[in-house]
Amino acid sequence: MSAVVILTPIVISSWPAITAAVAGAAAGLGLMVKETVEEAVQEVEVEVGQSVEVELANSEVLAENLATGKEIVLTKADLQIRVGRDERGRCTVCASGKGRSKTELKQIADDFAQKMTQCFVYNRVMSEVKSRNFQVVNEEVMEDESVRIHVRRWVD
Amino acid sequence: MAQHDVEITISQTGEVRVHVKGVKGKGCLEYSKWLARIVGRVKDEQLTSEYYEPETKARIDLKQDLNIEE
Repeated sequence: MSAVVILTPIVISSWPAITAAVAGAAAGLGLMVKETVEEAVQEVEVEVGQSVEVELANSEVLAENLATGKEIVLTKADLQIRVGRDERGRCTVCASGKGRSKTELKQIADDFAQKMTQCFVYNRVMSEVKSRNFQVVNEEVMEDESVRIHVRRWVD
Repeated sequence: MAQHDVEITISQTGEVRVHVKGVKGKGCLEYSKWLARIVGRVKDEQLTSEYYEPETKARIDLKQDLNIEE
C-alpha cells in the first residue's frame, strides 16, 4: 500500500454534464426522463400533492447557455422529481407526489441527490481515466451500491 | 517498468476513496492530487509504509502526465 485518500465530491459543472448525471441516476432508480417541463405537463397527469426541495451540497451549475427556470423532470407512477438550478446557481432536487408525506418526499429527494452525485463523480472519473490512458482492470458495483474501479498504468 | 494501481471506490453518497498501490515515495500523492482536482477536496489521507520508501524519478513524470500544478 502507498496511500489511502478520502475525497469529498464537489459538483461544479455545465448543464449537459449535470443532465448526464441525472439520466444515470434516473436509470438506476427506474425513473423516466421527460425532455421538458411542458412535455411532463402534457403527457403525464401527475397529481403533484406535497413537494419537498433539497439542494445538492457543494454544487454549482455553470450558467452558460442555460435559460432561467430550465429543469429536467423525472416521473415514476405518481412520483415526480424535478432537477434544476436555483437563483444562486446551486443544483436543486424537488420531489413531489400525492399521498406521500413530507418525510418520505425528503428521503426520496435526498436519495436521488446522492445517486446523482455518485453518477456525476463516476462520469468525471471515467472520462479522466480514459483520457490519461489508464487501463481499466476491473469495475464492479458492491453490495452497498458503491462502485469500485480498478485502474492501472505502467511507468518507465 | 513499474506497475501503478489505483483503486477508486465511489460510495452511494459520491464520496471517493482512492487507494494507490505500487508507488514508492511521494509519487503516490500525485495520484491523489490528480483525483482531488477532478472530484473535489481531500477529507482524509492515510500514508502507508511504501510512502516512506525511496522515491523514484517517476514522480516528475507523473506530475507532467497528470497535469498537476503545484
